[in-house]
Amino acid sequence: MATSTPRNRANKRLYLLGAILVLWAGTISLRLVYLQIFRYGDFEQRAQRQQQRTTEVAAKRGIIYDRAGRELAMSVSVDSVFAVPADIPDLAGTISLVARITRADPRELLAKCQTARTFCWVARKADAETADRIRAMNLRGIYFQKESKRFYPKRELAAQVLGYVGMDDEGLSGIERADDDDLRGKPGRMLISVDARRKWFGSVEKQPDPGENVVLTIDEKIQYIAERELETAMQQTHAESGTVVVQNPKTGEILALANRPTFNPNLARDITPQKLKDHAVSDVYEPGSTFKLVTIAAALEEKLTRPDEVFDCQMGSIVINGMRIRDSKPHGLLSVAGILAESSDVGAIKIALRLGEERFYKYIRAFGFGQQTGIEVPGETRGLAKPLNRWSKVSIGAISMGQEIGVTPLQLVAMVSTIANDGVWTAPRIIAGTTAPQSTPQMVAFHPGVQRRVISPMTVAQMKQMMQGVVLHGTGKKAILEGYSSAGKTGTAQKIDPATHTYSHTKYVGSFAGFAPINDPAITVAVILDSAVGLHQGGQVSAPVFQRVAQQVLEYLHTPHDVELPPSRQVLMAERHVKDQDVEEGSPDRLGDSLEAVDSTPADSTPQPTSASVKPAPGVPASVVVPAAMRESELAAPVPEQEQTAMSEDKPAGSPAYLPTSGTVVLDVEQGGIVVPSFLGKSVRSAIEMAQENGLDLDAIGSGLARQQFPAAGSHVASGSQVTVKFGR
Amino acid sequence: MSRYISFRDFDWLLFTFVLVICGLGVMEIHSATLHTKFAGAHIRQIYWILGGVAGMFLVSLVNYQKLLDRVHWLYIAAIVSLMSVMLFGQKFLGARRWVKMPGGAHFQPSEWVKLILILAMAKYFADLHQRELSWPDFMKAGAIVLVPMLMVLRQPDLGTSLTYLPIAVIGLFLGGVRFKQAAIVTIATALLLPLAWHALKPYQRDRLTSFMHPEADSQGSGYQVNQSLIAVGSGGIWGNSEGSQTHLAFLPVPQTDFIFAAFAEEHGFVGALAVMLLYFIVLMRLTQNAQTAPDRAGTFVVMGVVAVLSFHILVNVGMVVGFMPVTGIPLPLMSYGGPSVLFMFLALGIVMNVRMRRFVN
Repeated sequence: MATSTPRNRANKRLYLLGAILVLWAGTISLRLVYLQIFRYGDFEQRAQRQQQRTTEVAAKRGIIYDRAGRELAMSVSVDSVFAVPADIPDLAGTISLVARITRADPRELLAKCQTARTFCWVARKADAETADRIRAMNLRGIYFQKESKRFYPKRELAAQVLGYVGMDDEGLSGIERADDDDLRGKPGRMLISVDARRKWFGSVEKQPDPGENVVLTIDEKIQYIAERELETAMQQTHAESGTVVVQNPKTGEILALANRPTFNPNLARDITPQKLKDHAVSDVYEPGSTFKLVTIAAALEEKLTRPDEVFDCQMGSIVINGMRIRDSKPHGLLSVAGILAESSDVGAIKIALRLGEERFYKYIRAFGFGQQTGIEVPGETRGLAKPLNRWSKVSIGAISMGQEIGVTPLQLVAMVSTIANDGVWTAPRIIAGTTAPQSTPQMVAFHPGVQRRVISPMTVAQMKQMMQGVVLHGTGKKAILEGYSSAGKTGTAQKIDPATHTYSHTKYVGSFAGFAPINDPAITVAVILDSAVGLHQGGQVSAPVFQRVAQQVLEYLHTPHDVELPPSRQVLMAERHVKDQDVEEGSPDRLGDSLEAVDSTPADSTPQPTSASVKPAPGVPASVVVPAAMRESELAAPVPEQEQTAMSEDKPAGSPAYLPTSGTVVLDVEQGGIVVPSFLGKSVRSAIEMAQENGLDLDAIGSGLARQQFPAAGSHVASGSQVTVKFGR
Repeated sequence: MSRYISFRDFDWLLFTFVLVICGLGVMEIHSATLHTKFAGAHIRQIYWILGGVAGMFLVSLVNYQKLLDRVHWLYIAAIVSLMSVMLFGQKFLGARRWVKMPGGAHFQPSEWVKLILILAMAKYFADLHQRELSWPDFMKAGAIVLVPMLMVLRQPDLGTSLTYLPIAVIGLFLGGVRFKQAAIVTIATALLLPLAWHALKPYQRDRLTSFMHPEADSQGSGYQVNQSLIAVGSGGIWGNSEGSQTHLAFLPVPQTDFIFAAFAEEHGFVGALAVMLLYFIVLMRLTQNAQTAPDRAGTFVVMGVVAVLSFHILVNVGMVVGFMPVTGIPLPLMSYGGPSVLFMFLALGIVMNVRMRRFVN
């Protein structure tokens, strides 16, 4: 085949075509380099932006247990309903159907869904019935998502301690907030892919880590007792608010912390700041006479006085630094123990003056006032303990009786527990520990917090005896327990009227703080009732609450009795028939008034008569107060009074006997005979040996170490009496 | 005259590369349609390929010179079939492109018209015996292509009608068009373009404008280009095995027109470049076959196939990477679709036909 010019030309043109092809292929390749290498990140992002939405998968919140592993707060799985408006053909119709079921405002919901094309919550954490009804309608564009909802199975129980959570399970108050980091866990990530038609494909990319469980030192049963008794007291006294704290004085563990008013954390929308307030840690109030414990303990520790030293209480009037302070009730000569028992302001001031400002302030700080106790709940205040340089001339007098100083109920509890715990201040604790999500709550070991010695055991012994005196023959008679010795101090403080900045004559904070049993205190209990109507004295309103709480708690804890029950019951029952006047203490309003009014008005400006406080406050029907008092005595004496009387006078045959029928307990009213030793902690063998040495007959029940004995140690029995000791492991 | 024909002269290398490209196409169709209503399309594609291969061997047996001798009959048949589409065609998505055949099969004549045009142009220029192209020659060659082209444009099927253009261009180019003639025609066409613009339907205009600024209306007319760019770009160097753009149906028609975008997303720059290389090898191999053709007609036939094939690739890949407007031209050998696959294999059959006769006379 001959090659011709046109043929060559055709071949040339073929090469030209080839060159064009190569050029084009090169251009496309460069374009691919640009798109896929240089702009990869950009396109990758754009792809993800339109395809994927990352949503957090909330972790299951940890459980809050009480000390025995009972759930106080837990999380349950519930349905949340959301809409994808782009999927819904008739948005308005669908939304109104859903709104009818959820009882939401359809217009508001529609507006919300119209602004978000791809996602909008319709009903979050709906209850099962609502979710089922919405599901049954099988609406297009309405989807369901499992979410966890906080559930408080015990409702109001320890509500302020536990706190509550918001819609996104974030802790908003209480332990829920304080320990939010542990409880919350780590959220997982869910990748939601959206296709071009806005269909959803969810895939969990990272599983959430559930939160840790928190074990509280609270005991649900004790908490329940405290709540119930506080509620009763609130109804009887019509107080504005109240708090009861039960603590183990040796370890600082808070066993119960009840507040009123309260709320149900399951119903978040009904919660008000007022109900939310944890009065025990966030209320600052003037403690009043309970603070005399600090004054007297400090003076004893500094060896400046003795319990039996007699002070002249000057019939209720003293001038310090040119200002006259009056006791509400005139006292003459009183021993230190008497000053505490009768709650004499003049006596307390005299002791404080002997102590001097600096030493007094040292003890105020040492007992933990003016600083946080470090308890693990949010909102704890330091209280108001003025530094020395801000004390006025009369401050030492005011503070000695619990004015001019602001304390929290918890600080008060810690102070009383210091006395109960042989003079060692122990930081109150409410969280025993945290456990891993799957472990059992019992794995937590409790370690007491900060401890420091404030007063010596010698001072403690003296204080305990005097505080017992307060209960037995002072202002705290209504705190007498059955079968247990108890010690405590009443307090009644006038509130400062926020309007006038002077002490109110109608609003009082009545408090009682004490512990029981005396020799080996198992619990410290503080009861504070704010603005009780009518009866308001600490000895009248708060001491009975202490009595009921302590009695039940000690029995629940199986604390061994240390007081013979039957005879003492009779005696004490008689004692409990004390009139309210007998337990009144000084209404310490004098100084507060005089602080502001002494220059302008004579110091003897007529105070409200103390007796008036016993009467119902104006405007309150008497019937409110009287049944309360009656009911109180009923509660205090489980055995009907008539029966008691009958028993004590002439035992009719066949009447139900409440005395131990064994008849082996021989009472020695003259306090003679043998003093029963303590068998607690002894083995069976050594207990029998000990009983023989003491000339007692031992009735051993069970095996192991002695846990309980009857009669209690220290009681007097006739020689050869039987002592029942229960052993256990 | 007897001719020695042997399948030893069959271009097995070219055939292998073609099958590799088809294999990649089947894989990608499988992946892109996995969870859609088109699931199983890759199986149908395999049947089409098998049918195409069979057709290719059959066509390679028939002497192309005998076909060229009878090309005027084929041309008339092509015009008739296009007319029948205009008269009895099934309307689908606003266009008449198919004729329903007895037995339920659909027949899309515009694809095999391409094949006939390649043969017709080859025959025409071969008969010109290498003389300088006169204006009447130019006009006649243009008319041969323009008549069916306008008929397809009326269906309307802009994309397919445009694929007829390279057949005319390559014929004229190799047939000896003078640069002066080419320049005059180009300028005249350029002047006529504004008129053509008015003849276009609104959606066609949108497509033409949107490829220049795909961001302007990313949810509307620019949607396809935009999604295609995102798919290609998010493939990166090694590809995104999840192929989310494809699998979440953001990418439009990932098994046909945008199969290269789907492939580039899943296999990245490396994969896309490999496919480009395969096509390049195929085109070069075809060009080589054109040079070794036994006669001038053979060269024109093979180069006609090269022209159509490279035009398809150029426009389709150009569309995928945002160089060209969206015209609905599939990527040959990879895109799903029977007519397209059949055309390619029949065209290859003719190329084989030419090659197997290269040592004769």
